[in-house]
Amino acid sequence: MSGTTGGPAAPLSHEEIEELLGAYALDAVDPATAELIEAHLDTCVRCAAEVSQHHEVAGLLANSGGVAPADLWDGIAGRLGGTSDESWDRLAARLRAPDDREAAGAAPAPSGPGAGTPAPEAAVVPIGSSRRRGRWVAAGAGLVAAAAAVLALVFGLQVHHLNSQVEALQARHGLSAAERAAIAAPGTTRVTLTAPGGTGPGSTPATIVLTAEGTGFVMNDAGDGLAPLPADRTYQLWGVVGSKIISLGLLGSRPGIVPFSVAGAGGVSAFAITDEVAGGVVSSTNQPVAEGKVQV
Amino acid sequence: MIELEVEQASDANLVVAVGRWYEPALAEVYRRHGGAVHALARRILRSDPPAEEVTQEVFLDLWRNPEKFDAQRGTLRSFLLARTHGKSVDVVRAEESRRRREERTSRETATAPYDIDREVWDLAVAEQVKDALEALPDELRQPIELAYFGGRTYREVAVLLDEPEGTVKSRIRSGLGRLRIHLAERGVEAAGAGL
Repeated sequence: MSGTTGGPAAPLSHEEIEELLGAYALDAVDPATAELIEAHLDTCVRCAAEVSQHHEVAGLLANSGGVAPADLWDGIAGRLGGTSDESWDRLAARLRAPDDREAAGAAPAPSGPGAGTPAPEAAVVPIGSSRRRGRWVAAGAGLVAAAAAVLALVFGLQVHHLNSQVEALQARHGLSAAERAAIAAPGTTRVTLTAPGGTGPGSTPATIVLTAEGTGFVMNDAGDGLAPLPADRTYQLWGVVGSKIISLGLLGSRPGIVPFSVAGAGGVSAFAITDEVAGGVVSSTNQPVAEGKVQV
Repeated sequence: MIELEVEQASDANLVVAVGRWYEPALAEVYRRHGGAVHALARRILRSDPPAEEVTQEVFLDLWRNPEKFDAQRGTLRSFLLARTHGKSVDVVRAEESRRRREERTSRETATAPYDIDREVWDLAVAEQVKDALEALPDELRQPIELAYFGGRTYREVAVLLDEPEGTVKSRIRSGLGRLRIHLAERGVEAAGAGL
């Protein structure tokens, strides 16, 4: 073991930090020096880019991995706070408001790593049962068609190609780099959601940006968008796929930009947003507050 | 049913889906990169139980804090491997048996040839990496191997190699730079950049 480690480090010049970037990228500097370097990287684009390059090279050196060990995944999945069930019901449970998550995790706890068996598609999941106000329809794959009749969509919208307005929205809401990359991908389209019967200010409360790969973003218009809801309510996003209406996720009570995923962007013919009890519902009897049809 | 076609999704899109607690997206990230993460942890830690723990933590961290991955700064694989390295090194440095390990393996690590696993995800790339590393002069290669695979600080490497600290940190930096140029000349640009 050698010399100076830990303790407050003296400030370093740009040149001194530059010399340390290789060692830093390999985690070969002491923690105090690492902190100084990280503070510098926040403001120095050139050094940050160099560290990224070193990380890429180091990644190649490390790249001797074969197949990911399956048993390790079981351990990871068992620690996610849910099971690996990929149904909408499971997703909705994962998307509950934070104060609901603990209860959500307690209900269907797997008995051990990898023990979670997918629920049947038509299972009735007691989402938000304690807060449910009645009227909720037990939904499965076959029942969504019934909900479709209730959730009458008025299609009145336009699809635009991505334009500078989206960039303005991004700047306003602060997207992550991964989200920016997804939005900027070729083939991305925009769907304006309109308030049923609305005209003038507030008549187009939200926009959906849809990438060709099936990632979408709900962008709430900051000025005349979806009004903030009480804490026990949430906006919920729905997609029309064929004759079915499926939930695409909860947007929270004060949505900014919310990403979601759908199988194949071409599969969704329309979107709608409803105002629901926090925790969301399996199917809705509420009229949409905003809706829009995807035009290809 | 909601379903992102994870097998076709880019790494960046998978991370977005992970951000919405979409487990199949994390499973796909694990399928793509779990082998490399586990292999690196095992190589640094030289023992399976802690390597498995580090591997799990790396993916759980992505699950909890996906926003820490910045697609504009590099590939997801290099991000995950950098996290793996950091965690593995933390474990190594915290171990009480550290000194004994050092004595037993320092020379071995410094002189061992680059033994790449045969079940590597991309043998062609692995060959290029091996060539590039072997083409590096010993004085540049050794500090990188000792720091990266041995989990040592550059100051410790300086002691092991009996070189000044300043020399070692410069050599690590220029060695990495040389490797990058070698690899770029061979058409290898980034780890797992295919998607």
